[in-house]
Amino acid sequence: MAKELSSYIENWVPENSKVIDFGCGDGSLLKKLINSKNILGYGVEINDEKINECIKKKVPVIKQDIDMGINEFASSNFDFSIMARSIQCLKNPNLALNRMLKLSKRCVVTLPNLGYWKCRFDLLKGRMPVTPDLPLSWFETENIHLCTIKDFEKLCSDEGIKIQDKVFLSGSGKKSLISSLIPNLFATEGVYLLEKE
Amino acid sequence: MNSKSELIKFEEGISLESGDNLSSFELMIETYGDLNDSKTNAVLVCHAFSGNHHVAGKKSNGEIGWWDEIVGPNKAIDTNKYFVVCCNNLGGCSGSSGPSSINPTTGKIYGKDFPIVSVKDWVNSQNMLTERLGIPRWLFVVGGSLGGMQALEWSIAYPEKILKAGIFAAAAKSSTQNIAMNEVGRESIRKDPNFNNGDYIELGVKPKNGLKTARMLGHITYLSEENMDLRFGRKFQDSNSKVDGKVDFEVENYLQYKGEKFTENFDANSYILMTKAMDGYDASKNFKNLDEALSSVSSELLIVGFDSDWLYPPERGKEIQLAAMNNNIRSSYITLDGRQGHDSFLFASEKYEEIIQDFVGS
Repeated sequence: MAKELSSYIENWVPENSKVIDFGCGDGSLLKKLINSKNILGYGVEINDEKINECIKKKVPVIKQDIDMGINEFASSNFDFSIMARSIQCLKNPNLALNRMLKLSKRCVVTLPNLGYWKCRFDLLKGRMPVTPDLPLSWFETENIHLCTIKDFEKLCSDEGIKIQDKVFLSGSGKKSLISSLIPNLFATEGVYLLEKE
Repeated sequence: MNSKSELIKFEEGISLESGDNLSSFELMIETYGDLNDSKTNAVLVCHAFSGNHHVAGKKSNGEIGWWDEIVGPNKAIDTNKYFVVCCNNLGGCSGSSGPSSINPTTGKIYGKDFPIVSVKDWVNSQNMLTERLGIPRWLFVVGGSLGGMQALEWSIAYPEKILKAGIFAAAAKSSTQNIAMNEVGRESIRKDPNFNNGDYIELGVKPKNGLKTARMLGHITYLSEENMDLRFGRKFQDSNSKVDGKVDFEVENYLQYKGEKFTENFDANSYILMTKAMDGYDASKNFKNLDEALSSVSSELLIVGFDSDWLYPPERGKEIQLAAMNNNIRSSYITLDGRQGHDSFLFASEKYEEIIQDFVGS
Protein backbone atom coordinates (compact mmCIF):
# COMPACT_ATOMS: atom_id res chain seq x y z
CA MET A 1 0.00 0.00 0.00
CA ALA A 2 1.26 3.47 -0.88
CA LYS A 3 2.74 5.26 2.10
CA GLU A 4 0.47 8.28 1.63
CA LEU A 5 -2.67 6.13 1.52
CA SER A 6 -1.83 4.34 4.73
CA SER A 7 -1.06 7.69 6.38
CA TYR A 8 -4.54 9.01 5.61
CA ILE A 9 -6.10 5.88 7.05
CA GLU A 10 -3.82 6.14 10.08
CA ASN A 11 -5.14 9.63 10.80
CA TRP A 12 -8.68 8.35 11.08
CA VAL A 13 -8.04 5.30 13.26
CA PRO A 14 -8.38 6.11 16.98
CA GLU A 15 -5.69 5.05 19.41
CA ASN A 16 -6.14 1.73 21.29
CA SER A 17 -9.05 0.74 19.08
CA LYS A 18 -10.02 -2.74 17.91
CA VAL A 19 -9.63 -2.89 14.15
CA ILE A 20 -10.41 -5.46 11.48
CA ASP A 21 -8.84 -5.16 8.05
CA PHE A 22 -10.65 -7.07 5.30
CA GLY A 23 -8.24 -8.07 2.58
CA CYS A 24 -5.30 -7.15 4.80
CA GLY A 25 -2.66 -8.44 2.37
CA ASP A 26 0.74 -8.83 4.02
CA GLY A 27 -0.47 -7.03 7.15
CA SER A 28 1.69 -3.95 6.70
CA LEU A 29 -1.13 -1.45 7.33
CA LEU A 30 -2.15 -3.24 10.53
CA LYS A 31 1.47 -3.48 11.61
CA LYS A 32 1.81 0.27 11.11
CA LEU A 33 -1.35 0.91 13.14
CA ILE A 34 -0.21 -1.47 15.89
CA ASN A 35 3.03 0.48 16.17
CA SER A 36 1.68 4.02 15.87
CA LYS A 37 -1.80 3.74 17.40
CA ASN A 38 -1.42 0.75 19.68
CA ILE A 39 -4.46 -0.88 18.11
CA LEU A 40 -5.62 -4.46 18.55
CA GLY A 41 -5.75 -5.50 14.93
CA TYR A 42 -7.02 -8.54 13.05
CA GLY A 43 -6.49 -9.11 9.35
CA VAL A 44 -8.69 -11.17 7.07
CA GLU A 45 -6.96 -12.63 4.06
CA ILE A 46 -7.35 -15.54 1.67
CA ASN A 47 -3.88 -15.71 0.12
CA ASP A 48 -1.58 -18.16 1.93
CA GLU A 49 1.66 -16.35 1.16
CA LYS A 50 0.23 -13.08 2.47
CA ILE A 51 -1.14 -14.84 5.56
CA ASN A 52 2.34 -16.05 6.27
CA GLU A 53 3.71 -12.52 5.98
CA CYS A 54 1.17 -11.46 8.61
CA ILE A 55 2.25 -14.24 10.98
CA LYS A 56 5.88 -13.18 10.49
CA LYS A 57 4.93 -9.62 11.42
CA LYS A 58 3.01 -10.83 14.50
CA VAL A 59 -0.20 -9.52 12.99
CA PRO A 60 -3.17 -11.75 13.95
CA VAL A 61 -4.82 -13.03 10.79
CA ILE A 62 -7.83 -15.10 9.83
CA LYS A 63 -8.02 -17.05 6.63
CA GLN A 64 -11.38 -16.24 5.16
CA ASP A 65 -12.92 -15.30 1.85
CA ILE A 66 -14.39 -11.87 2.50
CA ASP A 67 -17.10 -12.49 -0.06
CA MET A 68 -18.39 -15.29 2.14
CA GLY A 69 -17.96 -13.97 5.61
CA ILE A 70 -18.08 -10.49 7.04
CA ASN A 71 -21.09 -11.41 9.12
CA GLU A 72 -19.09 -14.16 10.83
CA PHE A 73 -17.32 -11.48 12.81
CA ALA A 74 -20.53 -9.77 13.90
CA SER A 75 -20.28 -10.99 17.50
CA SER A 76 -16.95 -9.29 18.05
CA ASN A 77 -17.17 -5.59 18.83
CA PHE A 78 -14.84 -3.69 16.56
CA ASP A 79 -14.26 0.03 16.72
CA PHE A 80 -13.11 0.27 13.19
CA SER A 81 -13.07 -1.76 9.99
CA ILE A 82 -10.98 -1.27 6.89
CA MET A 83 -11.37 -2.47 3.35
CA ALA A 84 -8.61 -1.13 1.16
CA ARG A 85 -8.83 -1.73 -2.59
CA SER A 86 -10.95 -4.86 -2.18
CA ILE A 87 -14.57 -3.80 -2.35
CA GLN A 88 -14.53 -3.80 -6.16
CA CYS A 89 -13.60 -7.51 -6.07
CA LEU A 90 -16.67 -8.55 -4.09
CA LYS A 91 -19.86 -10.08 -5.42
CA ASN A 92 -22.04 -7.74 -3.38
CA PRO A 93 -20.19 -4.52 -2.53
CA ASN A 94 -23.36 -2.91 -1.18
CA LEU A 95 -23.98 -5.76 1.26
CA ALA A 96 -20.34 -5.72 2.28
CA LEU A 97 -20.52 -2.00 3.10
CA ASN A 98 -23.59 -2.46 5.26
CA ARG A 99 -22.11 -5.48 7.01
CA MET A 100 -18.92 -3.63 7.79
CA LEU A 101 -20.91 -0.81 9.29
CA LYS A 102 -22.76 -3.32 11.44
CA LEU A 103 -19.46 -4.69 12.75
CA SER A 104 -18.04 -1.32 13.60
CA LYS A 105 -19.43 2.18 13.86
CA ARG A 106 -16.92 3.49 11.39
CA CYS A 107 -15.09 2.07 8.45
CA VAL A 108 -12.57 3.08 5.83
CA VAL A 109 -13.07 2.04 2.24
CA THR A 110 -10.69 2.81 -0.56
CA LEU A 111 -11.42 2.06 -4.19
CA PRO A 112 -9.98 2.70 -7.63
CA ASN A 113 -11.90 5.27 -9.73
CA LEU A 114 -13.08 4.06 -13.09
CA GLY A 115 -13.98 7.67 -13.94
CA TYR A 116 -10.30 8.63 -13.98
CA TRP A 117 -9.52 10.32 -17.29
CA LYS A 118 -7.08 7.65 -18.44
CA CYS A 119 -9.77 5.00 -17.96
CA ARG A 120 -12.23 7.11 -19.93
CA PHE A 121 -9.65 7.58 -22.63
CA ASP A 122 -9.13 3.81 -22.94
CA LEU A 123 -12.89 3.35 -23.19
CA LEU A 124 -13.07 6.07 -25.84
CA LYS A 125 -10.52 4.06 -27.79
CA GLY A 126 -12.93 1.16 -27.42
CA ARG A 127 -10.83 -0.82 -24.94
CA MET A 128 -11.21 -1.82 -21.31
CA PRO A 129 -9.04 0.46 -19.17
CA VAL A 130 -5.54 -0.67 -18.24
CA THR A 131 -3.74 1.90 -16.10
CA PRO A 132 -0.94 1.80 -13.53
CA ASP A 133 -3.68 1.49 -10.89
CA LEU A 134 -5.66 -1.10 -12.80
CA PRO A 135 -2.83 -2.96 -14.47
CA LEU A 136 -4.53 -6.23 -15.41
CA SER A 137 -6.51 -7.05 -18.54
CA TRP A 138 -10.25 -7.62 -18.30
CA PHE A 139 -9.80 -11.38 -18.31
CA GLU A 140 -7.17 -11.43 -15.56
CA THR A 141 -8.50 -8.87 -13.14
CA GLU A 142 -10.35 -9.71 -9.93
CA ASN A 143 -12.09 -6.34 -10.14
CA ILE A 144 -15.62 -7.37 -11.06
CA HIS A 145 -17.42 -4.32 -9.66
CA LEU A 146 -15.45 -1.25 -10.66
CA CYS A 147 -17.21 2.06 -10.27
CA THR A 148 -16.60 5.78 -10.44
CA ILE A 149 -16.32 8.19 -7.52
CA LYS A 150 -19.83 9.44 -8.36
CA ASP A 151 -21.23 5.89 -8.43
CA PHE A 152 -19.75 5.10 -5.04
CA GLU A 153 -21.00 8.27 -3.41
CA LYS A 154 -24.47 7.66 -4.84
CA LEU A 155 -24.44 4.15 -3.38
CA CYS A 156 -23.50 5.58 0.01
CA SER A 157 -26.31 8.09 -0.11
CA ASP A 158 -28.83 5.44 -1.28
CA GLU A 159 -27.79 3.13 1.56
CA GLY A 160 -27.93 5.86 4.19
CA ILE A 161 -24.19 5.78 4.72
CA LYS A 162 -22.62 9.05 5.78
CA ILE A 163 -19.30 10.06 4.29
CA GLN A 164 -17.50 11.58 7.27
CA ASP A 165 -14.33 12.41 5.44
CA LYS A 166 -12.72 11.67 2.10
CA VAL A 167 -9.42 12.05 0.34
CA PHE A 168 -8.74 11.75 -3.37
CA LEU A 169 -5.42 10.59 -4.64
CA SER A 170 -3.94 11.38 -8.01
CA GLY A 171 -1.76 9.22 -10.23
CA SER A 172 1.26 9.85 -8.01
CA GLY A 173 -0.59 8.27 -5.05
CA LYS A 174 -0.72 11.68 -3.33
CA LYS A 175 -3.38 14.30 -2.82
CA SER A 176 -3.38 16.98 -5.48
CA LEU A 177 -5.42 20.13 -6.02
CA ILE A 178 -6.93 18.94 -9.26
CA SER A 179 -7.83 15.48 -7.93
CA SER A 180 -9.58 17.15 -5.01
CA LEU A 181 -11.43 19.67 -7.17
CA ILE A 182 -12.68 17.32 -9.89
CA PRO A 183 -12.20 13.86 -8.34
CA ASN A 184 -14.42 11.93 -10.70
CA LEU A 185 -12.12 12.84 -13.58
CA PHE A 186 -8.73 13.30 -11.95
CA ALA A 187 -8.58 11.00 -8.92
CA THR A 188 -7.18 7.51 -9.34
CA GLU A 189 -8.37 6.46 -5.92
CA GLY A 190 -11.00 7.50 -3.42
CA VAL A 191 -10.39 7.06 0.30
CA TYR A 192 -13.50 7.27 2.44
CA LEU A 193 -14.28 7.41 6.11
CA LEU A 194 -17.83 6.12 6.44
CA GLU A 195 -20.40 5.96 9.17
CA LYS A 196 -23.96 4.61 9.23
CA GLU A 197 -26.50 7.39 9.61
CA MET B 1 19.76 -34.67 18.46
CA ASN B 2 20.19 -34.26 22.17
CA SER B 3 17.20 -36.19 23.55
CA LYS B 4 16.48 -37.77 26.91
CA SER B 5 13.76 -40.03 28.30
CA GLU B 6 12.96 -39.97 31.95
CA LEU B 7 10.35 -41.36 34.31
CA ILE B 8 9.37 -38.72 36.85
CA LYS B 9 7.64 -39.68 40.06
CA PHE B 10 5.15 -37.38 41.78
CA GLU B 11 4.87 -38.61 45.37
CA GLU B 12 2.50 -35.77 46.19
CA GLY B 13 -0.22 -37.35 44.02
CA ILE B 14 -2.99 -35.48 42.23
CA SER B 15 -6.68 -34.71 42.74
CA LEU B 16 -8.63 -35.44 39.61
CA GLU B 17 -11.57 -33.61 38.07
CA SER B 18 -13.77 -36.64 38.73
CA GLY B 19 -13.25 -36.24 42.47
CA ASP B 20 -10.97 -39.28 42.64
CA ASN B 21 -7.32 -38.93 43.37
CA LEU B 22 -4.08 -40.72 42.75
CA SER B 23 -1.93 -40.88 45.87
CA SER B 24 1.17 -40.85 43.67
CA PHE B 25 1.84 -41.10 39.96
CA GLU B 26 4.57 -41.23 37.37
CA LEU B 27 5.00 -39.44 34.05
CA MET B 28 7.23 -40.72 31.30
CA ILE B 29 8.75 -37.80 29.47
CA GLU B 30 11.08 -37.17 26.58
CA THR B 31 13.00 -33.93 26.11
CA TYR B 32 14.93 -32.55 23.16
CA GLY B 33 17.51 -29.78 23.07
CA ASP B 34 18.52 -27.63 26.02
CA LEU B 35 16.77 -25.16 28.27
CA ASN B 36 18.52 -21.81 27.87
CA ASP B 37 19.87 -19.85 30.84
CA SER B 38 16.94 -17.45 30.91
CA LYS B 39 14.51 -20.42 30.64
CA THR B 40 12.58 -18.75 27.84
CA ASN B 41 12.82 -21.39 25.11
CA ALA B 42 10.67 -24.21 26.49
CA VAL B 43 8.06 -25.79 24.25
CA LEU B 44 5.52 -28.32 25.50
CA VAL B 45 4.14 -30.71 22.91
CA CYS B 46 0.90 -32.45 23.90
CA HIS B 47 0.17 -35.76 22.26
CA ALA B 48 -3.07 -36.87 20.69
CA PHE B 49 -5.16 -39.86 21.64
CA SER B 50 -2.83 -42.72 20.70
CA GLY B 51 0.48 -40.81 20.78
CA ASN B 52 3.08 -40.81 23.50
CA HIS B 53 6.13 -38.99 24.81
CA HIS B 54 8.27 -40.07 21.85
CA VAL B 55 7.71 -37.03 19.60
CA ALA B 56 10.82 -36.94 17.48
CA GLY B 57 13.89 -38.86 16.45
CA LYS B 58 14.46 -42.58 16.13
CA LYS B 59 14.47 -44.90 19.13
CA SER B 60 16.93 -47.76 19.36
CA ASN B 61 14.11 -50.11 18.29
CA GLY B 62 13.67 -48.04 15.13
CA GLU B 63 10.46 -46.32 16.24
CA ILE B 64 10.22 -42.85 14.74
CA GLY B 65 8.58 -40.09 16.80
CA TRP B 66 4.96 -39.29 15.95
CA TRP B 67 5.74 -35.67 15.06
CA ASP B 68 9.22 -36.18 13.67
CA GLU B 69 8.27 -34.26 10.52
CA ILE B 70 7.72 -31.10 12.58
CA VAL B 71 10.00 -31.43 15.62
CA GLY B 72 13.77 -31.80 15.33
CA PRO B 73 16.97 -29.98 14.44
CA ASN B 74 16.24 -27.27 11.82
CA LYS B 75 12.61 -28.33 11.60
CA ALA B 76 9.54 -26.14 12.19
CA ILE B 77 9.93 -26.63 15.95
CA ASP B 78 13.70 -26.46 15.95
CA THR B 79 15.29 -28.46 18.74
CA ASN B 80 18.53 -26.53 18.18
CA LYS B 81 16.67 -23.45 19.40
CA TYR B 82 13.99 -24.79 21.70
CA PHE B 83 13.86 -27.11 24.66
CA VAL B 84 11.02 -29.42 23.68
CA VAL B 85 9.19 -31.53 26.27
CA CYS B 86 6.51 -34.15 25.80
CA CYS B 87 5.01 -36.50 28.36
CA ASN B 88 2.95 -39.61 28.02
CA ASN B 89 -0.38 -38.57 29.46
CA LEU B 90 -1.76 -39.91 32.68
CA GLY B 91 -3.83 -43.01 31.94
CA GLY B 92 -1.71 -43.84 28.91
CA CYS B 93 0.23 -47.00 28.30
CA SER B 94 3.72 -45.88 27.32
CA GLY B 95 5.32 -45.59 30.72
CA SER B 96 3.20 -43.10 32.66
CA SER B 97 0.78 -44.25 35.34
CA GLY B 98 -2.21 -45.85 33.71
CA PRO B 99 -4.53 -48.85 33.85
CA SER B 100 -1.71 -51.25 32.95
CA SER B 101 0.63 -50.05 35.71
CA ILE B 102 0.81 -51.18 39.32
CA ASN B 103 -1.41 -49.47 41.85
CA PRO B 104 1.07 -48.53 44.62
CA THR B 105 -1.60 -48.86 47.31
CA THR B 106 -2.63 -52.41 46.44
CA GLY B 107 0.46 -53.69 44.69
CA LYS B 108 -1.78 -54.96 41.90
CA ILE B 109 -2.33 -53.82 38.34
CA TYR B 110 -4.92 -51.00 38.22
CA GLY B 111 -6.95 -52.44 35.35
CA LYS B 112 -10.50 -51.13 35.50
CA ASP B 113 -9.78 -49.36 38.80
CA PHE B 114 -7.65 -46.66 37.26
CA PRO B 115 -9.71 -43.48 37.74
CA ILE B 116 -11.25 -41.52 34.88
CA VAL B 117 -8.88 -38.80 33.74
CA SER B 118 -9.70 -35.64 31.82
CA VAL B 119 -7.96 -33.10 29.60
CA LYS B 120 -7.94 -30.77 32.61
CA ASP B 121 -6.24 -33.48 34.72
CA TRP B 122 -3.58 -33.88 32.05
CA VAL B 123 -2.95 -30.16 31.98
CA ASN B 124 -2.76 -30.09 35.78
CA SER B 125 -0.28 -32.98 35.81
CA GLN B 126 1.74 -31.27 33.05
CA ASN B 127 1.77 -28.16 35.22
CA MET B 128 3.26 -30.20 38.05
CA LEU B 129 5.85 -31.41 35.56
CA THR B 130 6.51 -27.79 34.55
CA GLU B 131 7.28 -26.92 38.15
CA ARG B 132 9.44 -29.99 38.56
CA LEU B 133 11.47 -29.05 35.49
CA GLY B 134 11.86 -25.50 36.81
CA ILE B 135 10.24 -23.89 33.79
CA PRO B 136 8.61 -20.57 34.76
CA ARG B 137 6.67 -20.19 31.53
CA TRP B 138 6.27 -22.13 28.29
CA LEU B 139 7.15 -20.21 25.16
CA PHE B 140 4.74 -22.43 23.25
CA VAL B 141 2.30 -25.19 24.15
CA VAL B 142 1.17 -27.06 21.09
CA GLY B 143 -0.73 -30.12 19.99
CA GLY B 144 -3.04 -31.56 17.39
CA SER B 145 -6.43 -33.16 17.93
CA LEU B 146 -6.70 -34.17 21.59
CA GLY B 147 -3.29 -32.49 21.98
CA GLY B 148 -4.81 -29.26 20.68
CA MET B 149 -7.48 -29.50 23.36
CA GLN B 150 -4.69 -29.63 25.96
CA ALA B 151 -3.02 -26.58 24.43
CA LEU B 152 -6.35 -24.73 24.61
CA GLU B 153 -6.91 -25.85 28.20
CA TRP B 154 -3.39 -24.74 29.11
CA SER B 155 -4.12 -21.23 27.90
CA ILE B 156 -7.38 -21.18 29.89
CA ALA B 157 -6.08 -22.77 33.11
CA TYR B 158 -2.57 -21.34 33.37
CA PRO B 159 -2.53 -18.06 31.42
CA GLU B 160 0.50 -16.76 33.29
CA LYS B 161 2.55 -19.82 32.38
CA ILE B 162 2.13 -19.83 28.63
CA LEU B 163 3.11 -17.25 26.05
CA LYS B 164 1.76 -18.84 22.87
CA ALA B 165 -0.51 -21.76 22.09
CA GLY B 166 -0.85 -23.83 18.92
CA ILE B 167 -4.22 -25.54 18.58
CA PHE B 168 -4.27 -27.74 15.50
CA ALA B 169 -7.09 -29.88 14.09
CA ALA B 170 -8.91 -29.53 17.38
CA ALA B 171 -12.14 -28.31 18.89
CA ALA B 172 -13.29 -26.68 22.12
CA LYS B 173 -15.45 -29.74 22.65
CA SER B 174 -16.07 -33.10 21.05
CA SER B 175 -19.09 -33.27 18.78
CA THR B 176 -21.99 -35.70 19.09
CA GLN B 177 -20.56 -37.57 16.10
CA ASN B 178 -17.13 -37.78 17.78
CA ILE B 179 -18.70 -39.28 20.91
CA ALA B 180 -20.76 -41.70 18.83
CA MET B 181 -17.73 -42.98 16.91
CA ASN B 182 -15.76 -43.42 20.12
CA GLU B 183 -18.60 -45.32 21.75
CA VAL B 184 -18.61 -47.87 18.93
CA GLY B 185 -14.89 -48.37 19.53
CA ARG B 186 -15.37 -48.78 23.26
CA GLU B 187 -18.27 -51.14 22.79
CA SER B 188 -16.22 -53.42 20.58
CA ILE B 189 -13.57 -53.61 23.32
CA ARG B 190 -16.11 -54.24 26.08
CA LYS B 191 -17.74 -57.00 24.05
CA ASP B 192 -14.46 -58.83 23.51
CA PRO B 193 -14.69 -62.05 25.60
CA ASN B 194 -11.17 -61.38 26.88
CA PHE B 195 -12.04 -57.94 28.24
CA ASN B 196 -13.24 -59.38 31.53
CA ASN B 197 -14.66 -56.06 32.68
CA GLY B 198 -11.22 -54.46 32.35
CA ASP B 199 -9.27 -56.89 34.52
CA TYR B 200 -7.64 -58.89 31.75
CA ILE B 201 -3.92 -58.40 32.41
CA GLU B 202 -4.00 -60.47 35.60
CA LEU B 203 -5.63 -63.29 33.66
CA GLY B 204 -2.85 -63.14 31.10
CA VAL B 205 -5.18 -62.27 28.21
CA LYS B 206 -5.84 -59.20 26.04
CA PRO B 207 -9.08 -58.05 24.37
CA LYS B 208 -7.11 -57.88 21.18
CA ASN B 209 -9.93 -58.37 18.70
CA GLY B 210 -12.08 -55.69 20.26
CA LEU B 211 -9.19 -53.25 20.40
CA LYS B 212 -8.31 -54.00 16.80
CA THR B 213 -11.85 -53.34 15.58
CA ALA B 214 -11.95 -50.10 17.57
CA ARG B 215 -8.72 -48.94 15.99
CA MET B 216 -9.86 -49.89 12.49
CA LEU B 217 -12.96 -47.75 12.87
CA GLY B 218 -10.94 -44.94 14.42
CA HIS B 219 -8.47 -45.05 11.59
CA ILE B 220 -11.20 -44.46 9.02
CA THR B 221 -12.26 -41.32 10.86
CA TYR B 222 -8.68 -39.98 10.77
CA LEU B 223 -8.48 -40.17 6.98
CA SER B 224 -10.33 -38.27 4.31
CA GLU B 225 -12.41 -39.90 1.61
CA GLU B 226 -10.19 -38.35 -1.05
CA ASN B 227 -7.04 -39.61 0.62
CA MET B 228 -8.35 -43.15 0.93
CA ASP B 229 -9.41 -43.04 -2.70
CA LEU B 230 -6.00 -41.84 -3.83
CA ARG B 231 -4.07 -44.28 -1.69
CA PHE B 232 -6.08 -47.42 -2.18
CA GLY B 233 -8.83 -46.79 -4.69
CA ARG B 234 -10.56 -50.04 -5.46
CA LYS B 235 -7.29 -51.87 -5.94
CA PHE B 236 -7.17 -55.52 -4.94
CA GLN B 237 -4.54 -56.67 -2.48
CA ASP B 238 -1.74 -58.65 -4.00
CA SER B 239 -2.24 -62.23 -2.82
CA ASN B 240 1.36 -62.56 -1.57
CA SER B 241 0.98 -59.72 0.91
CA LYS B 242 -2.48 -60.40 2.30
CA VAL B 243 -2.69 -60.38 6.09
CA ASP B 244 -5.26 -63.13 5.78
CA GLY B 245 -7.47 -64.88 3.26
CA LYS B 246 -10.59 -62.84 4.04
CA VAL B 247 -9.09 -59.70 2.57
CA ASP B 248 -9.95 -58.57 -0.97
CA PHE B 249 -9.18 -54.88 -1.26
CA GLU B 250 -5.98 -53.01 -0.39
CA VAL B 251 -7.89 -50.79 2.01
CA GLU B 252 -9.09 -53.83 3.94
CA ASN B 253 -5.59 -55.19 4.16
CA TYR B 254 -4.31 -51.83 5.33
CA LEU B 255 -6.90 -51.52 8.10
CA GLN B 256 -6.33 -55.12 9.20
CA TYR B 257 -2.59 -54.52 9.35
CA LYS B 258 -2.86 -51.18 11.16
CA GLY B 259 -5.41 -52.54 13.62
CA GLU B 260 -3.32 -55.59 14.39
CA LYS B 261 -0.16 -53.57 14.86
CA PHE B 262 -1.94 -51.15 17.19
CA THR B 263 -2.89 -53.96 19.58
CA GLU B 264 0.78 -54.87 20.07
CA ASN B 265 1.54 -51.66 21.95
CA PHE B 266 -1.73 -50.21 23.11
CA ASP B 267 -3.73 -51.10 26.16
CA ALA B 268 -7.50 -51.52 25.83
CA ASN B 269 -8.28 -49.82 29.14
CA SER B 270 -6.15 -46.86 28.09
CA TYR B 271 -8.12 -46.75 24.83
CA ILE B 272 -11.32 -46.45 26.80
CA LEU B 273 -9.85 -43.82 29.16
CA MET B 274 -8.36 -41.69 26.39
CA THR B 275 -11.53 -41.68 24.31
CA LYS B 276 -13.58 -40.85 27.42
CA ALA B 277 -11.27 -37.90 28.11
CA MET B 278 -11.69 -36.73 24.54
CA ASP B 279 -15.49 -37.07 24.64
CA GLY B 280 -15.69 -35.39 28.02
CA TYR B 281 -13.74 -32.32 27.04
CA ASP B 282 -15.74 -29.14 26.80
CA ALA B 283 -13.73 -25.98 27.38
CA SER B 284 -16.89 -24.11 28.35
CA LYS B 285 -18.18 -26.78 30.75
CA ASN B 286 -17.84 -24.62 33.85
CA PHE B 287 -18.74 -21.39 32.10
CA LYS B 288 -21.74 -19.77 30.46
CA ASN B 289 -20.23 -20.20 26.99
CA LEU B 290 -16.93 -20.43 25.14
CA ASP B 291 -16.51 -16.64 25.20
CA GLU B 292 -16.60 -16.67 28.97
CA ALA B 293 -14.32 -19.73 29.12
CA LEU B 294 -11.64 -17.87 27.19
CA SER B 295 -11.88 -14.68 29.22
CA SER B 296 -8.81 -15.62 31.29
CA VAL B 297 -6.60 -16.30 28.27
CA SER B 298 -3.64 -14.00 27.75
CA SER B 299 -1.48 -16.09 25.45
CA GLU B 300 -1.38 -15.56 21.72
CA LEU B 301 -3.26 -18.30 19.85
CA LEU B 302 -2.55 -19.95 16.54
CA ILE B 303 -5.43 -22.14 15.45
CA VAL B 304 -5.07 -24.32 12.39
CA GLY B 305 -7.71 -26.47 10.74
CA PHE B 306 -7.43 -28.78 7.74
CA ASP B 307 -10.03 -28.68 5.02
CA SER B 308 -10.26 -32.46 4.58
CA ASP B 309 -10.69 -33.08 8.33
CA TRP B 310 -14.22 -34.22 9.02
CA LEU B 311 -13.57 -35.37 12.59
CA TYR B 312 -12.64 -31.88 13.87
CA PRO B 313 -13.50 -29.79 10.81
CA PRO B 314 -12.19 -26.23 10.24
CA GLU B 315 -15.39 -24.69 11.66
CA ARG B 316 -14.50 -26.02 15.11
CA GLY B 317 -11.19 -24.16 14.99
CA LYS B 318 -12.85 -21.00 13.72
CA GLU B 319 -15.20 -21.07 16.70
CA ILE B 320 -12.24 -20.97 19.06
CA GLN B 321 -10.67 -18.06 17.18
CA LEU B 322 -13.94 -16.14 17.16
CA ALA B 323 -14.40 -16.60 20.89
CA ALA B 324 -10.78 -15.51 21.36
CA MET B 325 -11.33 -12.41 19.23
CA ASN B 326 -14.47 -11.58 21.23
CA ASN B 327 -12.16 -11.52 24.25
CA ASN B 328 -9.63 -9.29 22.46
CA ILE B 329 -7.07 -12.10 22.46
CA ARG B 330 -4.42 -11.91 19.78
CA SER B 331 -5.35 -14.94 17.73
CA SER B 332 -5.05 -16.26 14.20
CA TYR B 333 -7.05 -18.90 12.39
CA ILE B 334 -5.76 -20.61 9.27
CA THR B 335 -7.24 -23.42 7.17
CA LEU B 336 -4.66 -25.49 5.35
CA ASP B 337 -5.31 -27.93 2.58
CA GLY B 338 -4.13 -31.21 4.00
CA ARG B 339 -5.21 -34.26 2.08
CA GLN B 340 -4.86 -36.68 4.96
CA GLY B 341 -8.07 -35.72 6.73
CA HIS B 342 -7.81 -35.37 10.49
CA ASP B 343 -4.32 -36.90 10.42
CA SER B 344 -3.10 -33.93 8.33
CA PHE B 345 -1.83 -32.24 11.49
CA LEU B 346 0.84 -34.95 11.78
CA PHE B 347 2.42 -34.31 8.40
CA ALA B 348 4.73 -31.53 7.34
CA SER B 349 3.87 -29.32 4.41
CA GLU B 350 5.67 -26.17 3.36
CA LYS B 351 2.87 -23.84 4.46
CA TYR B 352 2.22 -25.65 7.74
CA GLU B 353 5.91 -25.64 8.65
CA GLU B 354 6.35 -21.98 7.78
CA ILE B 355 3.35 -20.93 9.82
CA ILE B 356 4.45 -22.86 12.90
CA GLN B 357 8.04 -21.68 12.60
CA ASP B 358 7.08 -18.04 12.10
CA PHE B 359 4.51 -18.09 14.88
CA VAL B 360 6.90 -19.53 17.46
CA GLY B 361 9.80 -17.44 16.24
CA SER B 362 8.03 -14.08 15.86
